Amino acid sequence: MTGRFCWQGVPIAVAMSIAAATAHAACPPATVDGAVVSKGELVLAYRPVANADKGAKPDRIPMAQHFALEVQLCEKGAASTARLHKADASMPEHKHGMNYRPVITSLGAGHFRVEGMMFHMAGRWELTFEVHAGKETVRLTHDVQVE
Amino acid sequence: MTYRSSRSALRRLGLAAALLALSMSAAGEDAREFTAAELGRIAAHGPWPLPWTPDPGNRVSGNAAAIWLGHQLFFDRRLSANGRVACATCHDPDLGFQDGRATGRGLATGVRNTPGLLNVRHQRWFGWDGGHDNLWSASLRPILDPSEMGGSAQRTASVLRNDKALACHYGQAFGKRPHASDPELLVNVAKAIAAWQETLVSPASPFDRFRDALARQDARATVAYPVAAQRGLRLFLGRGQCATCHAGPMFTNGEFGDTGMPFFVKPNGVDPGRQGGIKRLLANPHNLLGPYNDDVTRNNATGTKFLRPEHRNFGEFKVPTLRNLPVTAPYMHNGSLATLRDVVRHYSELDEDRLHADGERILKPLKLSEEEIDDLVAFLKSLSPTIQMPVLAKPATLSACIADEPNARKPNDRQSR
Ligand code: HEC
Ligand code: HEC
Repeated sequence: MTGRFCWQGVPIAVAMSIAAATAHAACPPATVDGAVVSKGELVLAYRPVANADKGAKPDRIPMAQHFALEVQLCEKGAASTARLHKADASMPEHKHGMNYRPVITSLGAGHFRVEGMMFHMAGRWELTFEVHAGKETVRLTHDVQVE
Repeated sequence: MTYRSSRSALRRLGLAAALLALSMSAAGEDAREFTAAELGRIAAHGPWPLPWTPDPGNRVSGNAAAIWLGHQLFFDRRLSANGRVACATCHDPDLGFQDGRATGRGLATGVRNTPGLLNVRHQRWFGWDGGHDNLWSASLRPILDPSEMGGSAQRTASVLRNDKALACHYGQAFGKRPHASDPELLVNVAKAIAAWQETLVSPASPFDRFRDALARQDARATVAYPVAAQRGLRLFLGRGQCATCHAGPMFTNGEFGDTGMPFFVKPNGVDPGRQGGIKRLLANPHNLLGPYNDDVTRNNATGTKFLRPEHRNFGEFKVPTLRNLPVTAPYMHNGSLATLRDVVRHYSELDEDRLHADGERILKPLKLSEEEIDDLVAFLKSLSPTIQMPVLAKPATLSACIADEPNARKPNDRQSR
């Protein structure tokens, strides 16, 4: 899936409660206000949230500002036991990555938070997720156009 | 360096305004048609001014007593070892808080160009190498730097103690008297000077008015923007790819880049740029990860916490803002380019061998025609206000201190006067 992001303006508190309420239902929730990428059985849903000091409002990925990602891993419609091991991004056309090294925190039940991201230039960024599922490493990528 | 002196900066900007007006009347009817994509990009360079928020890392940010104190100290030569160098020696209000020299000269001559300080509140990194992650630590450095002011905590405390107005404002801002033995004294002084610098905001420019007019689809108002500047703007967003780095309302993405400027410094050294800046930053006890950050959440330290040093940082310098350039010549980190025309020519004739082999590949020699160079220069000039720069408030007096309740005035009160 290439192309522009369009985030519904769901306030984070509401979005979080949807996520919590549907933890036992569909995974990812049908109303996920982010992007969904999959490979085989593994489904990864993510959405950007503004950096903590900017007021955590779900938004499109901001240009040249720090943001965090909320990531959810699912398998066969339920929370996955796989672990998000790495998240990173680069600009293939510019041949460079980010100036920051993001850090992942596990929030349990297939939920993760990636902190310290910044897309410091407009253009095409390729997000890369590395997921450890048992002995297997699955790489998922997703294109984001930042303006 | 007087408080009225921003007038002559004004005169300079006023001249730019007159020239813009001239070129405008000649070609006013030939307004460009911008595509939807271009309109979106133009909108992203505003609105201006940006909303002012206090700096969470500086507990006296926005505090009236601290702003008074910082204002006074910025012009106070007594903080320097020889009693002759103030911040304003290099950061002259007449020149957008720059000095007109290639490289700064205090107790000795340095190797880097003095940056202007207008709109400094909106920077993420400070110094050409981003060696500071906050405004107060960038303001403390020159006080101690032996080649700039060569001062000390001792000297600063004695200046404060022996001046009733300064001591009074210090007491009001920090709730205690200045003591040389206080390890926080210098940090507090730097925070006060930072609080004052945060109030330095440049007014809207012809570009800002054009951008706003486009945004509200006011075709009549867009005509006021010179056609040469409009052509320059199109180049800036398009073929020039300038906005890739010079992005947003500040015309900088706040990060670092390599534009093929030489990084050799006389006699036979090199300026490592961002690579050295990251080292300096992480070794500095006054960075936002350290104990002097007043934001207990440390949410303001994200940039420093997640920094990723890269090979390519060698020779990278901060992408500077492009606002107020007509008053802040010469240009680039080493002040080696005297005029805006020289800068545009640099991008036009770029020596690709000088660029990082492993880095950015968006810069190409643009091979601009003379007319295109004129257009880009006209556009760059249009990023400066043509109206009066905000007049600096009066210096701190003892009676003002005694009369003033702390926090009674907001920084914005000051700018609008
Ligand atoms: C001798 C000239 C000189 C003096 C005196 C001086 N500065 Fe500077 N200032 C510079 C130079 C040169 C730089 C760029 C330094 C670098 O890139 O490492 C600078 C950078 C800065 C910056 C960072 C701005 C930015 O956009 O990155 C701030 C803020 C600043 N100075 C404030 C002050 C204050 C406050 C004082 C007085 C306490 C002061 N300066 C005294 C020359 C001077
Ligand atoms: C790759 C990012 C990048 C691009 C693209 C870029 N610049 Fe720059 N620009 C910089 C950096 C970094 C500096 C400072 C370089 C130095 O001092 O060594 C700079 C400096 C400048 C300055 C000097 C400002 C000052 O205060 O000294 C001007 C003017 C300028 N650029 C205009 C332009 C224009 C016009 C374009 C398009 C033709 C452009 N830039 C494209 C990164 C970029």
